[in-house]
Amino acid sequence: MTTTEWIGARAPRREDPALIRGRGRYVADINLPGTLHMAILRSPMGHASINSIDASEARAMDGVHMVITPDDIPDHVTQFPVIWRLPGQKDSGTPALAEGKVRYVGEPVAAVVAESRYVAEDALDAIDVDYEPLDAVTDAEAALEEGAPVINEDWGDNVAIHHVFAGYNALGECHYDAETFDNAEVTVRGRLKIGRHSGIPLETRGIVADWDEVHGRLTVHSESQVASLFRTELAASLGLPETAVRVLTPNMGGGFGNKWDRYPEDLLVSIASMELGKPVKWIGDRREGLMATVHGRAQVQEWEMALQSDGTILGLRGKVINDLGAHLHSVGIGPAWVTGAAAPNQYKIANYYCDVIAAATNKAPSSTFRGFGGPEGIFGAERMMDKAAKQLGMDPAEIRRKNMIQPDQFPWFNAAGAVYDSGNFPECLEKALEAADYDRLRAEQAELREQGIFRGIGISSYIHVSGFGPSPILGYLSYYTGGYEGSTVKVDPNGKATVYTGMIPMGQGTETTLAQVAAHHLGIDMDDVRVVWGDTDQTPYTGFGSAGSRSNVAAVAVIRAIEEIKAKAIRIGAGMLEADADDLEYAEGAVSVKGAEEMRSVTLAQVAQQAYWAHALPEGDQPFLEATYVYDPPNFTTASGCHVVVLDVDTKTGKITFQNYVIVDDCGPVINPLLVEGQIHGGVAQALGGALLEEFVYDEEGQLLTTSFMDYLLPSFTDVPDMEIHHVVTPSPHTDGGFKGMGEAGTFPPGAAVANAVTDALSHLGVEADELPITPSRLWGLIQEATG
Amino acid sequence: MMAQVAITLNVNGRNQTTLAEPREILADVLRDRLGLTGTHLGCEHGVCGACTVLMDGEMVRSCLLFAVQVQGSEITTIEGLEENGELHPMQKAFSEYHGLQCGFCTPGMILAGIDLLKRNPDPTAEEVRDDMGGNICRCTGYQKIVESVLGAASEMNEVTS
Repeated sequence: MTTTEWIGARAPRREDPALIRGRGRYVADINLPGTLHMAILRSPMGHASINSIDASEARAMDGVHMVITPDDIPDHVTQFPVIWRLPGQKDSGTPALAEGKVRYVGEPVAAVVAESRYVAEDALDAIDVDYEPLDAVTDAEAALEEGAPVINEDWGDNVAIHHVFAGYNALGECHYDAETFDNAEVTVRGRLKIGRHSGIPLETRGIVADWDEVHGRLTVHSESQVASLFRTELAASLGLPETAVRVLTPNMGGGFGNKWDRYPEDLLVSIASMELGKPVKWIGDRREGLMATVHGRAQVQEWEMALQSDGTILGLRGKVINDLGAHLHSVGIGPAWVTGAAAPNQYKIANYYCDVIAAATNKAPSSTFRGFGGPEGIFGAERMMDKAAKQLGMDPAEIRRKNMIQPDQFPWFNAAGAVYDSGNFPECLEKALEAADYDRLRAEQAELREQGIFRGIGISSYIHVSGFGPSPILGYLSYYTGGYEGSTVKVDPNGKATVYTGMIPMGQGTETTLAQVAAHHLGIDMDDVRVVWGDTDQTPYTGFGSAGSRSNVAAVAVIRAIEEIKAKAIRIGAGMLEADADDLEYAEGAVSVKGAEEMRSVTLAQVAQQAYWAHALPEGDQPFLEATYVYDPPNFTTASGCHVVVLDVDTKTGKITFQNYVIVDDCGPVINPLLVEGQIHGGVAQALGGALLEEFVYDEEGQLLTTSFMDYLLPSFTDVPDMEIHHVVTPSPHTDGGFKGMGEAGTFPPGAAVANAVTDALSHLGVEADELPITPSRLWGLIQEATG
Repeated sequence: MMAQVAITLNVNGRNQTTLAEPREILADVLRDRLGLTGTHLGCEHGVCGACTVLMDGEMVRSCLLFAVQVQGSEITTIEGLEENGELHPMQKAFSEYHGLQCGFCTPGMILAGIDLLKRNPDPTAEEVRDDMGGNICRCTGYQKIVESVLGAASEMNEVTS
């Protein structure tokens, strides 16, 4: 491509040439000389105390170098902390090994380090653990009842937090009014459930730790999505100065939030490497991936919506019970908090109240997963909209139209404290309805039903508050990180640029996107920009590192660093052109005299050479042509959109067949349409998994019944429909470029859109699809119930 | 520890002999003994298809085979597709149509796509979805993989016609 208009271009990905050749380098591919391999002994029980662990036989086996039991963990090693600590939240962290008792199936109990993974696994069988089974509790609501087995004794009960959204917006105003609910013309109630599922990256978690005793340095090859924070926490937990730890992140085989957290194995490989003085590698297998990587989403929601008989919403209040799992993981109850903050969605709901309760259960910890509580909030909001429409006899599109925040009402202060910066919600809705041919679908629906075809149409609008975030707000929310992103841009003496970012690519094309942004703003070819990532020794410290903050935070840091470079180029160019700096401009990779009849300019390469020779630099300027900018956004960005799903339900089997899937997405200006489409497709597919197939199932004793891909079903080629994507572009008013986060948005609406469509298809039976996933057997059961 | 046996395979056109334990799966031997890390392990129980390789021209899952079982076979991995510096049309199409994101399922997907076109050189989108259902991708939502395979098919058909 010969352009400098890189933003908006369908630029091919620079990640691809290695990946399509099988030359990617993932953690499992890293084989350092002398590497030893770790395997983990995991709890086979949901809840039990550990009487004793006898590892003597394992320690004596050929090829075994080390066995780690709790007694072998150095005293100075501490648990990984929870970084989001809301007031009133119980305290717990993530220990390297279970301490005295196991709380979920899969919790690490001991570890073996051996010359091969095969030998390490042999040795696991030789470790004898004496467990004393305890009563387990796996249902979140049961866990809250009086007399339920207490999972974390120091908490006193299983309530990790009871957080109340009492209706305050960011201006400090409260419009919650209980009386409105008592006196409303129409009250709509709903009880909703979302099953436990997770990101399940195809690449399992893994890590290699390499201790250099001579220099006192621990190099870790990890898949952390947030390498800087990982370095900080790993150093602290191991009692090392942070300068002693270097984190390298090679290619990542998907993260989806799950790899944002810190895990016991991160400590275990480090402890082993420091003890043995050799590289130690742990690559989780799929069974471990399913039982001991964080889960997400599991909630029970109860809502009450008050309305006027004309469909105007007067208030929304409810309760969200989050099935937290055995203990608080890296982000605490964060996702459930976000659910409470997102539930007012696109609507003018000032009168709002929400109880968020997180309950410990004997299951794997629930934590970070793409969407981070947002999809759960949208599920609640959008199911309630459809329930209200049904009760009022209104069209689901009409009730949304009636209550939507209008384009001239931004910034909008939602009743849970979020500030929506921009959007055009009605346009997204109308565009989606038009693309799906909504009126025709409605007209055909009755006729099809006569023919025995049960077609349903489901709408779900959404907001995605992205770009975490203004650091002071994170501080206000007791979130112990910053929300900024930094970037260093260096122009070499030959005029080519290198961008250093702390962002960790997980497959989204981050390297391509940032190269596009840098090339665009420097006015040079994309091939002349290199992007360096994945090495904490080289790249800037990153704050949050996730939550749709690549284009709207990290890219802005690149743009601002380039602005500083351009300003310096103009100062240097002034001397070279013997002109006043005020008369010069930077464009198309050159500094030129504004409006000169004869083109008088110097190229970026010529300026850069001067910057490095430093023979005649402007007064006050240092040599080099580089800048670092750390961008802390003034607000979140609000991406939004609307999905319309058309599907048929086979009432004999409960099977769903998609007929159409229309998406309207507003993430502001698009940097690379190809990558945006890919992110939306993938996000939707992932959410359809949670809507239709995926669920971690535990029995009453806490035994996990879904430990393979035979039982835990991921969507395949035939489960995901073709999608039609349209855009509405409402730039964010406060980010350079107007970009908004978009990598997670695809996961927000599908759950509600599908549930609404299924409910619509079966409206003649009165079936309400209120529990996800809507598996064929679950839906068949609902149909049987309804038809007697 | 178990005794090791010598295993000879023709991998990507070259005969190679390596020692391995009888219990070592083909994927581990390819990755750890022969250094061909382009073959990925996503589930190790035959569901996800990330470890797909071609054995004597047929698509197999290298996590479900012991290396000793395939003694003397011809194995093609993702690393063996490039010929004389020229990528296979399927590799090019995956990049052109954005059929990959994280790249972890990609080697298996590309080989499965090649296997499909061998049997059905001009498939419909529906046929691609049905045929490749044994390979799982967690990133793309499949749509652009389908486009990639169809794109490669038309490119390959143009060349041969």
